[in-house]
Amino acid sequence: MEHDERGSATATLTPKDFNSGLKPIWCPGCGDYGVLQGIYRALTSIGRPPHEIAFVSGIGCSSRIPGYTTAYGFNSVHGRALPIAQGVKLANPELLVLVAGGDGDGFSIGGGHVAHAVRRNVDITYIVMDNQVYGLTKGQLSPTSPRGLKTITSPFGSLEQPVNPLLYLLAYGAGFVAQSTPADMPGMTKLIEEAIRYPGFSFLNIQSPCVTFGEEEQQMRAHKTNMKSLESLGHDPSDLNRALELAHGYGTELHTGVFYRNPNPPPTYDALVRIRQDEMRKGARPRSQVLDAYLQK
Amino acid sequence: MTTPPNPTLGIDFTRITLRDALDLALYVEEEARDRYEEFADQLAMHHTPEAAEFFRKMSRVEEKHRAHLQARRRSLFGDTPPAVGRTMIFDVEAPEYDEARTFMTVRQALEVALRCEVKAYSFFVSALKVVRDPQIRTLFEELCRDEVQHQELVLAELKRAAPDAPGNPDDYSDAPAPQ
Repeated sequence: MEHDERGSATATLTPKDFNSGLKPIWCPGCGDYGVLQGIYRALTSIGRPPHEIAFVSGIGCSSRIPGYTTAYGFNSVHGRALPIAQGVKLANPELLVLVAGGDGDGFSIGGGHVAHAVRRNVDITYIVMDNQVYGLTKGQLSPTSPRGLKTITSPFGSLEQPVNPLLYLLAYGAGFVAQSTPADMPGMTKLIEEAIRYPGFSFLNIQSPCVTFGEEEQQMRAHKTNMKSLESLGHDPSDLNRALELAHGYGTELHTGVFYRNPNPPPTYDALVRIRQDEMRKGARPRSQVLDAYLQK
Repeated sequence: MTTPPNPTLGIDFTRITLRDALDLALYVEEEARDRYEEFADQLAMHHTPEAAEFFRKMSRVEEKHRAHLQARRRSLFGDTPPAVGRTMIFDVEAPEYDEARTFMTVRQALEVALRCEVKAYSFFVSALKVVRDPQIRTLFEELCRDEVQHQELVLAELKRAAPDAPGNPDDYSDAPAPQ
Protein backbone atom coordinates (compact mmCIF):
# COMPACT_ATOMS: atom_id res chain seq x y z
CA MET A 1 0.00 0.00 0.00
CA GLU A 2 1.29 3.47 -0.86
CA HIS A 3 0.56 6.70 1.03
CA ASP A 4 0.45 10.37 0.13
CA GLU A 5 2.13 12.98 2.32
CA ARG A 6 -0.88 13.06 4.69
CA GLY A 7 -0.68 9.33 5.21
CA SER A 8 -3.86 8.50 3.33
CA ALA A 9 -3.83 5.45 1.11
CA THR A 10 -3.24 6.29 -2.52
CA ALA A 11 -3.24 2.75 -3.90
CA THR A 12 -5.88 0.08 -3.68
CA LEU A 13 -5.90 -1.73 -0.35
CA THR A 14 -5.90 -5.50 -0.14
CA PRO A 15 -7.04 -7.75 2.74
CA LYS A 16 -3.35 -8.37 3.50
CA ASP A 17 -2.94 -4.70 4.44
CA PHE A 18 -5.15 -5.38 7.47
CA ASN A 19 -3.47 -8.62 8.54
CA SER A 20 -0.97 -8.05 11.35
CA GLY A 21 0.77 -11.37 10.68
CA LEU A 22 0.18 -12.48 14.25
CA LYS A 23 -1.08 -16.05 14.04
CA PRO A 24 -4.50 -16.59 15.65
CA ILE A 25 -4.53 -19.20 18.39
CA TRP A 26 -8.20 -20.13 18.09
CA CYS A 27 -9.07 -23.82 17.82
CA PRO A 28 -8.91 -25.15 14.25
CA GLY A 29 -12.43 -24.97 12.82
CA CYS A 30 -13.47 -21.99 14.98
CA GLY A 31 -15.99 -19.63 13.41
CA ASP A 32 -13.90 -16.63 14.38
CA TYR A 33 -11.39 -17.34 11.60
CA GLY A 34 -14.09 -16.65 9.04
CA VAL A 35 -15.20 -13.52 10.87
CA LEU A 36 -11.63 -12.21 10.88
CA GLN A 37 -11.31 -12.87 7.16
CA GLY A 38 -14.66 -11.11 6.60
CA ILE A 39 -13.42 -8.10 8.57
CA TYR A 40 -10.23 -7.90 6.47
CA ARG A 41 -12.29 -7.95 3.31
CA ALA A 42 -14.93 -5.50 4.50
CA LEU A 43 -12.22 -3.06 5.56
CA THR A 44 -10.61 -3.46 2.14
CA SER A 45 -13.90 -2.45 0.52
CA ILE A 46 -14.33 0.46 2.93
CA GLY A 47 -10.94 1.68 1.71
CA ARG A 48 -9.66 3.44 4.79
CA PRO A 49 -6.05 2.66 5.71
CA PRO A 50 -5.32 0.83 8.97
CA HIS A 51 -4.03 3.91 10.78
CA GLU A 52 -7.47 5.52 10.42
CA ILE A 53 -9.15 2.60 12.19
CA ALA A 54 -9.34 1.70 15.88
CA PHE A 55 -10.46 -1.73 17.03
CA VAL A 56 -11.54 -2.17 20.63
CA SER A 57 -12.46 -5.45 22.32
CA GLY A 58 -13.20 -6.90 25.73
CA ILE A 59 -12.06 -10.34 26.88
CA GLY A 60 -12.74 -13.71 25.32
CA CYS A 61 -11.69 -15.78 22.33
CA SER A 62 -13.22 -13.33 19.85
CA SER A 63 -11.79 -10.34 21.70
CA ARG A 64 -8.35 -11.33 20.43
CA ILE A 65 -9.33 -9.92 17.04
CA PRO A 66 -7.74 -6.45 17.32
CA GLY A 67 -4.29 -8.05 17.63
CA TYR A 68 -4.77 -9.84 14.35
CA THR A 69 -5.35 -6.60 12.47
CA THR A 70 -3.02 -3.73 11.61
CA ALA A 71 -5.53 -1.17 12.91
CA TYR A 72 -4.97 0.52 16.25
CA GLY A 73 -6.10 -2.02 18.80
CA PHE A 74 -7.14 -2.12 22.43
CA ASN A 75 -7.82 -5.55 23.95
CA SER A 76 -9.43 -3.98 26.99
CA VAL A 77 -11.26 -5.09 30.12
CA HIS A 78 -13.98 -7.75 30.28
CA GLY A 79 -17.30 -6.23 29.25
CA ARG A 80 -15.91 -2.70 28.93
CA ALA A 81 -15.17 -2.52 25.23
CA LEU A 82 -18.16 -0.28 24.45
CA PRO A 83 -17.36 2.54 26.92
CA ILE A 84 -13.75 2.55 25.77
CA ALA A 85 -14.74 2.59 22.11
CA GLN A 86 -17.11 5.51 22.72
CA GLY A 87 -14.28 7.39 24.41
CA VAL A 88 -11.97 6.67 21.48
CA LYS A 89 -14.53 7.94 18.99
CA LEU A 90 -15.26 11.11 20.93
CA ALA A 91 -11.58 11.86 21.43
CA ASN A 92 -10.84 11.36 17.74
CA PRO A 93 -14.05 11.51 15.69
CA GLU A 94 -12.10 11.00 12.45
CA LEU A 95 -11.28 7.42 13.42
CA LEU A 96 -13.39 4.54 12.17
CA VAL A 97 -14.11 2.68 15.40
CA LEU A 98 -14.98 -1.01 15.55
CA VAL A 99 -15.83 -3.00 18.65
CA ALA A 100 -15.65 -6.77 18.86
CA GLY A 101 -16.42 -9.29 21.54
CA GLY A 102 -18.36 -12.36 22.47
CA ASP A 103 -21.87 -12.87 23.79
CA GLY A 104 -20.64 -13.20 27.37
CA ASP A 105 -18.58 -10.04 27.14
CA GLY A 106 -21.43 -8.10 25.53
CA PHE A 107 -24.59 -9.39 27.15
CA SER A 108 -23.56 -10.56 30.56
CA ILE A 109 -20.47 -8.88 31.93
CA GLY A 110 -20.86 -5.79 29.77
CA GLY A 111 -24.62 -6.04 29.32
CA GLY A 112 -25.35 -2.75 31.06
CA HIS A 113 -23.24 -0.77 28.62
CA VAL A 114 -25.07 -1.83 25.48
CA ALA A 115 -28.26 0.16 26.14
CA HIS A 116 -26.31 3.34 26.81
CA ALA A 117 -24.07 2.97 23.78
CA VAL A 118 -27.20 2.57 21.67
CA ARG A 119 -29.10 5.53 23.14
CA ARG A 120 -26.03 7.80 22.80
CA ASN A 121 -25.73 6.72 19.17
CA VAL A 122 -21.99 7.18 18.91
CA ASP A 123 -20.91 6.24 15.39
CA ILE A 124 -19.27 2.90 16.13
CA THR A 125 -19.83 -0.64 14.86
CA TYR A 126 -20.32 -3.41 17.38
CA ILE A 127 -19.63 -6.94 16.13
CA VAL A 128 -20.58 -9.71 18.53
CA MET A 129 -19.30 -13.21 17.86
CA ASP A 130 -22.10 -15.12 19.48
CA ASN A 131 -21.17 -18.75 20.20
CA GLN A 132 -23.63 -19.36 23.07
CA VAL A 133 -20.90 -20.46 25.44
CA TYR A 134 -17.88 -19.15 27.35
CA GLY A 135 -15.28 -20.87 25.17
CA LEU A 136 -12.06 -19.32 26.46
CA THR A 137 -12.71 -20.55 29.99
CA LYS A 138 -13.69 -23.99 28.72
CA GLY A 139 -17.38 -24.04 28.10
CA GLN A 140 -19.50 -22.54 30.85
CA LEU A 141 -23.04 -21.26 30.30
CA SER A 142 -23.16 -17.86 28.63
CA PRO A 143 -26.08 -15.42 28.43
CA THR A 144 -27.13 -16.72 25.02
CA SER A 145 -26.84 -20.44 25.88
CA PRO A 146 -30.10 -22.17 25.03
CA ARG A 147 -32.30 -23.46 27.83
CA GLY A 148 -31.44 -27.06 28.60
CA LEU A 149 -27.80 -26.79 27.46
CA LYS A 150 -25.53 -29.11 29.42
CA THR A 151 -22.19 -27.57 30.26
CA ILE A 152 -19.71 -27.93 33.10
CA THR A 153 -21.70 -25.31 35.00
CA SER A 154 -25.05 -26.82 34.09
CA PRO A 155 -24.49 -30.60 34.11
CA PHE A 156 -28.25 -31.28 34.23
CA GLY A 157 -29.13 -28.64 31.64
CA SER A 158 -29.54 -24.87 31.87
CA LEU A 159 -32.69 -23.61 33.59
CA GLU A 160 -32.27 -20.09 32.25
CA GLN A 161 -33.98 -18.32 29.39
CA PRO A 162 -31.28 -17.04 27.00
CA VAL A 163 -30.80 -13.40 26.14
CA ASN A 164 -32.02 -12.45 22.67
CA PRO A 165 -29.36 -9.99 21.41
CA LEU A 166 -31.39 -8.98 18.38
CA LEU A 167 -34.48 -8.10 20.41
CA TYR A 168 -32.36 -6.26 22.97
CA LEU A 169 -30.73 -4.07 20.37
CA LEU A 170 -33.95 -3.37 18.50
CA ALA A 171 -35.76 -2.53 21.72
CA TYR A 172 -32.93 -0.24 22.83
CA GLY A 173 -33.42 1.69 19.59
CA ALA A 174 -30.35 0.73 17.56
CA GLY A 175 -30.47 2.15 14.04
CA PHE A 176 -28.80 -0.82 12.41
CA VAL A 177 -29.29 -4.43 13.55
CA ALA A 178 -28.16 -7.39 11.49
CA GLN A 179 -27.16 -11.02 11.89
CA SER A 180 -24.92 -13.35 9.98
CA THR A 181 -22.73 -16.43 10.14
CA PRO A 182 -19.33 -17.31 8.70
CA ALA A 183 -21.15 -20.14 6.92
CA ASP A 184 -22.15 -17.39 4.47
CA MET A 185 -18.85 -15.60 3.90
CA PRO A 186 -19.96 -13.28 1.07
CA GLY A 187 -23.14 -12.31 2.92
CA MET A 188 -21.34 -11.81 6.23
CA THR A 189 -18.64 -9.66 4.65
CA LYS A 190 -21.26 -7.50 2.96
CA LEU A 191 -23.07 -7.04 6.28
CA ILE A 192 -19.88 -6.05 8.10
CA GLU A 193 -19.34 -3.42 5.42
CA GLU A 194 -22.96 -2.22 5.62
CA ALA A 195 -22.76 -1.99 9.40
CA ILE A 196 -19.57 0.09 9.17
CA ARG A 197 -21.12 2.37 6.57
CA TYR A 198 -24.25 3.02 8.65
CA PRO A 199 -23.97 6.54 10.12
CA GLY A 200 -24.52 5.79 13.80
CA PHE A 201 -24.34 2.92 16.25
CA SER A 202 -24.58 -0.33 14.31
CA PHE A 203 -24.82 -3.87 15.62
CA LEU A 204 -23.99 -7.12 13.89
CA ASN A 205 -24.60 -10.41 15.67
CA ILE A 206 -22.48 -13.11 14.07
CA GLN A 207 -23.32 -16.66 15.05
CA SER A 208 -19.77 -17.92 15.22
CA PRO A 209 -19.68 -21.58 16.23
CA CYS A 210 -17.46 -22.81 19.05
CA VAL A 211 -15.98 -25.95 17.55
CA THR A 212 -14.78 -27.29 20.91
CA PHE A 213 -17.64 -26.59 23.31
CA GLY A 214 -20.53 -25.76 20.98
CA GLU A 215 -23.48 -27.99 20.21
CA GLU A 216 -23.61 -29.97 16.98
CA GLU A 217 -26.67 -28.07 15.73
CA GLN A 218 -24.80 -24.79 16.18
CA GLN A 219 -21.84 -25.76 14.00
CA MET A 220 -21.11 -24.34 10.58
CA ARG A 221 -22.44 -27.37 8.74
CA ALA A 222 -25.81 -26.91 10.45
CA HIS A 223 -25.72 -23.18 9.70
CA LYS A 224 -25.21 -23.89 6.01
CA THR A 225 -28.34 -26.03 6.00
CA ASN A 226 -30.51 -23.89 8.24
CA MET A 227 -29.72 -20.27 7.46
CA LYS A 228 -32.42 -18.22 5.80
CA SER A 229 -31.69 -14.83 4.34
CA LEU A 230 -34.11 -12.09 5.33
CA GLU A 231 -33.92 -10.86 1.76
CA SER A 232 -35.28 -14.18 0.50
CA LEU A 233 -38.17 -13.77 2.94
CA GLY A 234 -38.94 -10.40 1.38
CA HIS A 235 -38.17 -8.51 4.57
CA ASP A 236 -38.06 -4.73 4.29
CA PRO A 237 -35.26 -3.55 6.64
CA SER A 238 -37.02 -0.23 7.28
CA ASP A 239 -39.97 -2.08 8.86
CA LEU A 240 -39.18 -2.04 12.58
CA ASN A 241 -42.28 -3.95 13.67
CA ARG A 242 -41.57 -6.80 11.28
CA ALA A 243 -37.92 -6.75 12.38
CA LEU A 244 -39.08 -7.23 15.98
CA GLU A 245 -41.28 -10.15 14.95
CA LEU A 246 -38.44 -11.80 13.03
CA ALA A 247 -35.99 -11.22 15.88
CA HIS A 248 -38.18 -13.43 18.08
CA GLY A 249 -36.89 -16.32 15.98
CA TYR A 250 -33.44 -16.03 17.56
CA GLY A 251 -32.46 -19.41 18.98
CA THR A 252 -34.79 -21.39 16.75
CA GLU A 253 -34.24 -19.80 13.32
CA LEU A 254 -31.00 -18.59 11.78
CA HIS A 255 -32.02 -15.47 9.93
CA THR A 256 -29.24 -13.66 8.11
CA GLY A 257 -29.30 -10.13 6.82
CA VAL A 258 -30.40 -6.71 7.99
CA PHE A 259 -33.28 -6.84 10.47
CA TYR A 260 -33.53 -3.08 10.76
CA ARG A 261 -31.87 -0.08 9.18
CA ASN A 262 -33.25 3.28 10.22
CA PRO A 263 -34.17 4.98 6.94
CA ASN A 264 -33.66 8.40 8.55
CA PRO A 265 -30.60 8.05 10.76
CA PRO A 266 -30.64 10.66 13.55
CA PRO A 267 -27.53 12.75 14.22
CA THR A 268 -24.84 10.86 16.06
CA TYR A 269 -23.63 11.83 19.50
CA ASP A 270 -20.19 12.64 18.12
CA ALA A 271 -21.71 14.96 15.52
CA LEU A 272 -23.85 16.68 18.19
CA VAL A 273 -20.80 17.12 20.39
CA ARG A 274 -18.99 18.82 17.54
CA ILE A 275 -21.94 21.17 16.95
CA ARG A 276 -22.04 21.97 20.66
CA GLN A 277 -18.31 22.60 20.68
CA ASP A 278 -18.63 24.98 17.74
CA GLU A 279 -21.49 26.85 19.44
CA MET A 280 -19.60 27.16 22.70
CA ARG A 281 -16.50 28.30 20.86
CA LYS A 282 -18.44 31.20 19.31
CA GLY A 283 -19.38 32.62 22.69
CA ALA A 284 -16.07 31.84 24.33
CA ARG A 285 -13.59 34.53 25.31
CA PRO A 286 -10.36 34.62 23.32
CA ARG A 287 -7.58 32.52 24.78
CA SER A 288 -5.75 35.60 26.04
CA GLN A 289 -8.81 36.58 28.16
CA VAL A 290 -9.60 33.19 29.64
CA LEU A 291 -8.48 34.20 33.14
CA ASP A 292 -10.13 37.64 33.11
CA ALA A 293 -13.42 36.39 34.54
CA TYR A 294 -11.62 35.07 37.58
CA LEU A 295 -9.40 38.08 37.99
CA GLN A 296 -12.43 40.45 37.98
CA LYS A 297 -13.86 38.63 41.00
CA MET B 1 -36.68 -21.85 2.65
CA THR B 2 -32.91 -22.03 3.03
CA THR B 3 -30.58 -19.67 1.21
CA PRO B 4 -29.52 -21.28 -2.09
CA PRO B 5 -25.77 -21.48 -2.74
CA ASN B 6 -24.43 -19.10 -5.33
CA PRO B 7 -21.93 -21.17 -7.32
CA THR B 8 -20.38 -18.22 -9.13
CA LEU B 9 -20.42 -15.83 -6.15
CA GLY B 10 -22.55 -13.30 -7.99
CA ILE B 11 -19.76 -12.54 -10.49
CA ASP B 12 -21.18 -11.59 -13.87
CA PHE B 13 -19.06 -13.74 -16.15
CA THR B 14 -20.77 -12.35 -19.25
CA ARG B 15 -19.11 -9.00 -18.70
CA ILE B 16 -15.55 -9.85 -17.73
CA THR B 17 -12.52 -9.61 -19.99
CA LEU B 18 -9.76 -12.18 -20.43
CA ARG B 19 -7.57 -10.09 -18.14
CA ASP B 20 -10.30 -10.13 -15.46
CA ALA B 21 -10.69 -13.88 -15.89
CA LEU B 22 -6.96 -14.42 -15.44
CA ASP B 23 -6.90 -12.16 -12.40
CA LEU B 24 -9.84 -13.99 -10.83
CA ALA B 25 -8.13 -17.33 -11.47
CA LEU B 26 -5.01 -15.91 -9.83
CA TYR B 27 -7.01 -14.84 -6.79
CA VAL B 28 -8.53 -18.32 -6.56
CA GLU B 29 -5.05 -19.85 -6.36
CA GLU B 30 -3.79 -17.14 -4.03
CA GLU B 31 -6.69 -17.63 -1.63
CA ALA B 32 -6.15 -21.41 -1.63
CA ARG B 33 -2.41 -20.96 -1.03
CA ASP B 34 -3.00 -18.61 1.89
CA ARG B 35 -5.75 -20.76 3.43
CA TYR B 36 -3.64 -23.92 3.31
CA GLU B 37 -0.84 -21.96 4.94
CA GLU B 38 -3.25 -20.81 7.66
CA PHE B 39 -4.40 -24.39 8.20
CA ALA B 40 -0.78 -25.53 8.44
CA ASP B 41 -0.11 -22.87 11.09
CA GLN B 42 -3.29 -23.72 13.02
CA LEU B 43 -2.57 -27.42 13.11
CA ALA B 44 1.12 -27.00 13.88
CA MET B 45 0.11 -24.82 16.84
CA HIS B 46 -2.43 -27.42 17.96
CA HIS B 47 -0.13 -30.44 17.95
CA THR B 48 -1.25 -31.95 14.65
CA PRO B 49 2.08 -31.91 12.76
CA GLU B 50 1.41 -34.51 10.04
CA ALA B 51 -1.74 -32.80 8.73
CA ALA B 52 0.03 -29.44 9.14
CA GLU B 53 2.85 -30.65 6.90
CA PHE B 54 0.36 -31.88 4.31
CA PHE B 55 -1.40 -28.49 4.24
CA ARG B 56 1.99 -26.77 3.96
CA LYS B 57 2.67 -28.92 0.91
CA MET B 58 -0.73 -28.02 -0.57
CA SER B 59 0.10 -24.35 -0.06
CA ARG B 60 3.30 -24.81 -2.09
CA VAL B 61 1.34 -26.57 -4.84
CA GLU B 62 -1.21 -23.73 -5.03
CA GLU B 63 1.62 -21.19 -5.15
CA LYS B 64 3.08 -23.09 -8.12
CA HIS B 65 -0.26 -22.83 -9.92
CA ARG B 66 -0.54 -19.17 -9.04
CA ALA B 67 2.97 -18.40 -10.29
CA HIS B 68 2.22 -20.19 -13.55
CA LEU B 69 -0.93 -18.09 -14.08
CA GLN B 70 0.90 -14.95 -13.03
CA ALA B 71 3.58 -15.49 -15.68
CA ARG B 72 0.89 -15.97 -18.30
CA ARG B 73 -0.98 -12.88 -17.18
CA ARG B 74 2.22 -10.81 -17.31
CA SER B 75 3.10 -12.02 -20.81
CA LEU B 76 -0.35 -11.01 -22.06
CA PHE B 77 -1.09 -7.86 -20.11
CA GLY B 78 2.15 -6.74 -18.48
CA ASP B 79 1.71 -4.98 -15.17
CA THR B 80 -1.66 -3.39 -15.96
CA PRO B 81 -3.46 -3.14 -12.60
CA PRO B 82 -6.34 -5.60 -12.15
CA ALA B 83 -9.87 -4.31 -12.60
CA VAL B 84 -11.26 -7.02 -10.29
CA GLY B 85 -10.51 -7.49 -6.61
CA ARG B 86 -9.48 -10.32 -4.35
CA THR B 87 -12.56 -9.64 -2.24
CA MET B 88 -14.75 -11.03 -5.04
CA ILE B 89 -13.47 -14.54 -4.37
CA PHE B 90 -14.74 -16.58 -1.43
CA ASP B 91 -13.52 -20.11 -0.74
CA VAL B 92 -13.50 -21.17 -4.39
CA GLU B 93 -10.59 -23.57 -4.05
CA ALA B 94 -9.61 -22.68 -0.49
CA PRO B 95 -10.91 -25.02 2.20
CA GLU B 96 -13.61 -23.46 4.32
CA TYR B 97 -12.47 -22.61 7.82
CA ASP B 98 -14.60 -25.28 9.47
CA GLU B 99 -12.72 -28.02 7.58
CA ALA B 100 -9.78 -27.84 9.99
CA ARG B 101 -9.84 -29.95 13.15
CA THR B 102 -7.36 -30.52 15.92
CA PHE B 103 -5.84 -34.03 15.62
CA MET B 104 -7.15 -34.53 12.10
CA THR B 105 -5.30 -37.27 10.25
CA VAL B 106 -3.45 -36.97 6.95
CA ARG B 107 -6.24 -38.96 5.36
CA GLN B 108 -8.80 -36.42 6.59
CA ALA B 109 -6.57 -33.62 5.33
CA LEU B 110 -6.41 -35.31 1.93
CA GLU B 111 -10.20 -35.56 1.91
CA VAL B 112 -10.37 -31.82 2.55
CA ALA B 113 -8.03 -31.20 -0.39
CA LEU B 114 -10.15 -33.43 -2.61
CA ARG B 115 -13.33 -31.54 -1.72
CA CYS B 116 -11.52 -28.31 -2.56
CA GLU B 117 -10.46 -29.53 -6.00
CA VAL B 118 -14.03 -30.67 -6.66
CA LYS B 119 -15.55 -27.34 -5.66
CA ALA B 120 -13.00 -25.39 -7.74
CA TYR B 121 -13.98 -27.54 -10.71
CA SER B 122 -17.67 -26.83 -10.04
CA PHE B 123 -16.97 -23.11 -9.89
CA PHE B 124 -15.38 -23.03 -13.34
CA VAL B 125 -18.05 -25.35 -14.76
CA SER B 126 -20.76 -23.00 -13.46
CA ALA B 127 -18.92 -20.03 -14.93
CA LEU B 128 -18.62 -21.79 -18.28
CA LYS B 129 -22.39 -22.00 -18.48
CA VAL B 130 -22.55 -18.25 -19.00
CA VAL B 131 -19.17 -17.30 -20.47
CA ARG B 132 -19.41 -16.28 -24.15
CA ASP B 133 -15.91 -14.96 -24.86
CA PRO B 134 -14.00 -17.76 -26.67
CA GLN B 135 -10.66 -16.89 -25.05
CA ILE B 136 -12.16 -16.99 -21.55
CA ARG B 137 -13.91 -20.24 -22.41
CA THR B 138 -10.59 -21.76 -23.45
CA LEU B 139 -8.96 -20.58 -20.22
CA PHE B 140 -11.75 -21.91 -18.00
CA GLU B 141 -11.90 -25.22 -19.86
CA GLU B 142 -8.18 -25.57 -19.29
CA LEU B 143 -8.62 -24.76 -15.60
CA CYS B 144 -11.38 -27.38 -15.36
CA ARG B 145 -9.05 -29.98 -16.82
CA ASP B 146 -6.36 -28.93 -14.33
CA GLU B 147 -8.79 -29.37 -11.43
CA VAL B 148 -9.73 -32.84 -12.65
CA GLN B 149 -6.06 -33.73 -12.86
CA HIS B 150 -5.49 -32.44 -9.33
CA GLN B 151 -8.43 -34.52 -8.09
CA GLU B 152 -6.80 -37.60 -9.61
CA LEU B 153 -3.51 -36.79 -7.90
CA VAL B 154 -5.20 -36.38 -4.53
CA LEU B 155 -7.20 -39.57 -5.04
CA ALA B 156 -3.98 -41.45 -5.80
CA GLU B 157 -2.46 -40.08 -2.58
CA LEU B 158 -5.59 -41.11 -0.70
CA LYS B 159 -5.18 -44.67 -1.92
CA ARG B 160 -1.63 -44.71 -0.61
CA ALA B 161 -2.49 -43.06 2.72
CA ALA B 162 -2.65 -45.24 5.79
CA PRO B 163 -6.18 -45.95 7.00
CA ASP B 164 -7.36 -43.96 10.00
CA ALA B 165 -7.07 -45.59 13.36
CA PRO B 166 -10.42 -46.59 14.84
CA GLY B 167 -11.99 -44.05 17.16
CA ASN B 168 -12.94 -40.41 16.86
CA PRO B 169 -10.08 -37.85 16.93
CA ASP B 170 -12.44 -35.49 18.76
CA ASP B 171 -12.18 -37.87 21.71
CA TYR B 172 -8.56 -36.78 22.20
CA SER B 173 -9.43 -33.07 22.11
CA ASP B 174 -9.05 -30.91 25.13
CA ALA B 175 -11.99 -31.85 27.28
CA PRO B 176 -13.94 -29.35 29.35
CA ALA B 177 -12.18 -28.96 32.66
CA PRO B 178 -13.36 -27.23 35.81
CA GLN B 179 -11.62 -23.89 36.34
